Amino acid sequence: MFHKQKAENTENQTSTLDIFDFSGENAITIKDVDLFYGEFQALKKINMQMPKYKITAMIGPSGCGKSTLIKTLNRMNDLVEGCRVVGEIRIGGLDIYDKRVDLSALRKNVGMVFQKPNPFPMSVYDNITYGPRTFGIKKKSTLDEIVERSLKQAAMWDELKDRLNKSALGLSGGQQQRLCIARALAVGPQILLMDEPTSALDPISTGKIEDLCEELKNDVTIVMVTHNMQQAARISDKTAFFLLGEMIEMGDTEQVFSAPKHPETERYITGRFG
Amino acid sequence: MFKASKYKDTSAKILFFVCAGLSVVAVFGIIGFILYASVPAFRQIGVFNFLFGTVWAPDLYNNGLASADRVFGILPMIVNSLLVTLGAIAIGGTIGVFTAIFLVFWCPDKLRIRYAGQNKFLQKVVSCINKINLRTIFDQIIKLLAGIPSLVYGFFAIEIIVPMLAAINPEGVGQGLLACFLILAIMILPTITSLTKNALEAVPEQYYEGALAMGNTKAQAVFRVVFPAARSGIISALILGIGRAVGEAMAVIWVCGNRAVFPDGLFSYIRTLTTNIVMEMGYAPLDLHRPALIATGFVLLIIVLIINLSMNLVPKEFKGKRGNKVLSGEKTEIIYRKKGLVPEILKYVSMTLATLVAVILALIVGFILVRGIGGLSWHFLFGRSTNADPTLVPAFAVTGYVILFTLIIALPLGIGAAIYLVEYAKPGSKVVKVLRTFIDTLSGVPSIVFGLFGMIFFGDILGLGYSVLTGSFTMVLVVLPTIIRSTEEALIAVPVSLREASYGLGASKVRTIFKVVLPSAFPGIATAAVLSIGRIIGESAALIFTVGSILTFGGSPLDQGSTLAVLLYTLSVEGLEKDLSYATAAVLLILAFLLNMIVYFIERRVKKRNK
Repeated sequence: MFHKQKAENTENQTSTLDIFDFSGENAITIKDVDLFYGEFQALKKINMQMPKYKITAMIGPSGCGKSTLIKTLNRMNDLVEGCRVVGEIRIGGLDIYDKRVDLSALRKNVGMVFQKPNPFPMSVYDNITYGPRTFGIKKKSTLDEIVERSLKQAAMWDELKDRLNKSALGLSGGQQQRLCIARALAVGPQILLMDEPTSALDPISTGKIEDLCEELKNDVTIVMVTHNMQQAARISDKTAFFLLGEMIEMGDTEQVFSAPKHPETERYITGRFG
Repeated sequence: MFKASKYKDTSAKILFFVCAGLSVVAVFGIIGFILYASVPAFRQIGVFNFLFGTVWAPDLYNNGLASADRVFGILPMIVNSLLVTLGAIAIGGTIGVFTAIFLVFWCPDKLRIRYAGQNKFLQKVVSCINKINLRTIFDQIIKLLAGIPSLVYGFFAIEIIVPMLAAINPEGVGQGLLACFLILAIMILPTITSLTKNALEAVPEQYYEGALAMGNTKAQAVFRVVFPAARSGIISALILGIGRAVGEAMAVIWVCGNRAVFPDGLFSYIRTLTTNIVMEMGYAPLDLHRPALIATGFVLLIIVLIINLSMNLVPKEFKGKRGNKVLSGEKTEIIYRKKGLVPEILKYVSMTLATLVAVILALIVGFILVRGIGGLSWHFLFGRSTNADPTLVPAFAVTGYVILFTLIIALPLGIGAAIYLVEYAKPGSKVVKVLRTFIDTLSGVPSIVFGLFGMIFFGDILGLGYSVLTGSFTMVLVVLPTIIRSTEEALIAVPVSLREASYGLGASKVRTIFKVVLPSAFPGIATAAVLSIGRIIGESAALIFTVGSILTFGGSPLDQGSTLAVLLYTLSVEGLEKDLSYATAAVLLILAFLLNMIVYFIERRVKKRNK
């Protein structure tokens, strides 16, 4: 399991690229990206741009490559043995598959929230300060500040301020997921990747997370994979539809849902397959 | 026509429960009978004088030169036992934990050596080396280390570690405290490594992924998230290691120096509680000296029980830290710096220590095989044995007998107990908790204490004396926990759907268990049997005072004799012939290796089948 990863190239490099510049209009630019798992081609010639401070939703039936794509954006796919990426993915001005890119710096700028909430088995406080501590912040008052700011950003300060020292594993599923969002926010990312963040949650928790996303897009760019088309329609600004490793269509959410350009898209959103 | 027998099911349940309950009886029996046999000592010496007296000189009493209350003090030995354990766990625990971390996270599956030369032979060699699965080999090394009899470790210690230490000590002495630290550290390594490995592998992978997604390097994710998450499992591993180190007798018997005094330096001669028993039991007069030795065993048993029961106090789940209070404050600019160095350094520490473990094993195995195989001859293996010219034939016969009788009794009992725990008892119920605590306790009892119990109960009270049967009955208790545990795991691995299919056809529970569940669990049970055989072959402390240690064997289960491991002890302690000792050690090592191979192949077949 663990040993298969080869994501250690950050450690053996001489000159590293770790300055990301997000002043451009698009946070993420994907150009002609092919992705292979061994022999199997999981993504075919993907081209797309994700605008800054917007929510981009990626939809499509299982196995269409949307989860694979989101994992290439912070290079979590490096963990998969035999995974090869061809093409260019530019985030904050850097080609993130450039050998010189500092993986830590990339993942600090591109946070991720997983399908299943995965708080560490530590206290709420330690979960949130985990990232900042990783990056060398030791001062208690600074850490305290980060905790408060992140929890407020994730709209759970009032719920949790008296429970900061309790184990994060004691929280409800929805709370755990929002804590994971707060944890990701604690290192000040520019982009937040969300891989089906509500698929393991009940409708009320889902609603809270959707509200949170609307709030958060003032500060960060959000890319979200979702199985739930209503969710995409409700909260996203842009929607991309994937099928069998190809991006079929991408556009403003309203347009994609009201007047899709491609027949496959229409068939999918009207529920005829998938 | 088709009549289900309710009666049969109930009686089967009771039978299995009795099997499971036997562990409870055994634990109480061991404590009770050893206490009973110690009472004369406590009475005549006085509990306080015994525990806190600092002079151990039974000969003075035996010869009528001193009174009992002044020359039977075991405090120095208690201190030594604890001290030796502390040193062993400090060294062995550190190395073991780091080795496990290396195995789980950094051990490459395969070596990738590049060779560009033209030499055909070298090309072949390199491609062969590259094919080896390093991870499997390392796993097997750890298992082999666990399977090596403790006497062989002791033998290695006196032949290698002691001379090496003597070379660095200006006074030229190698035995003593430091030698005990080192050999016990090596002995508990496999226990700690394999249990730590299990604990690390049980940590959900999402923690690791989560940490990487936060921008952690691999080393940071491992040492800051996965390692702390495995904390409770690792603490349990260390406690088990402590229990083993306190109770170990044979590995230190030749290197401790054997003086029952408080140590005053790393090369100070010492004597532990365990060695005290082994060294003097053979000639101790029955009136007071022998009960005093048994009482030493009782004290040891209590210490071990306390250590092992303390395991239940390890919190299983994370509890929040206190004292972090967050205050509202002004916003300041936060500067994120580069990552810390400590985890990266720890990574290299783990690689280095794992290499060290591999080197140590190579040293032990290589040394004993090289010296031992030279001494092996057809005559020594299969020739007629006499006291003047001992061969291995009687030892083979005795070992075979003990294996046979032990397994005949222990397998049904162990399987029955496992069936009760898995198939009948409610998971998580009080009964299961109690039974499991007692089974764990039984598995933590030191060999030498089993030996004392066997000698007192089967030997003296049941009147079997030194005999193959006494030894076999004793070994039943030794191997029972292993058999229960392995069988349990095998039963749990049998899919519920199989049971449901059987019930669906109207089969009774007993029938389902015997016709469907047990056959599916057979490889696991076979593994348990092989592991038990290994334990019996390697056991010495529990057998010296039950089977005996004479060089010949009459051939009946009621005769005494010595097993292979005990023979190694006798040959070495009497200094009969060094070459024969080495040869015996080599035979023991080869047997341990073969049994390991068998287990490996059974497990591999099961894995393949399950795929």
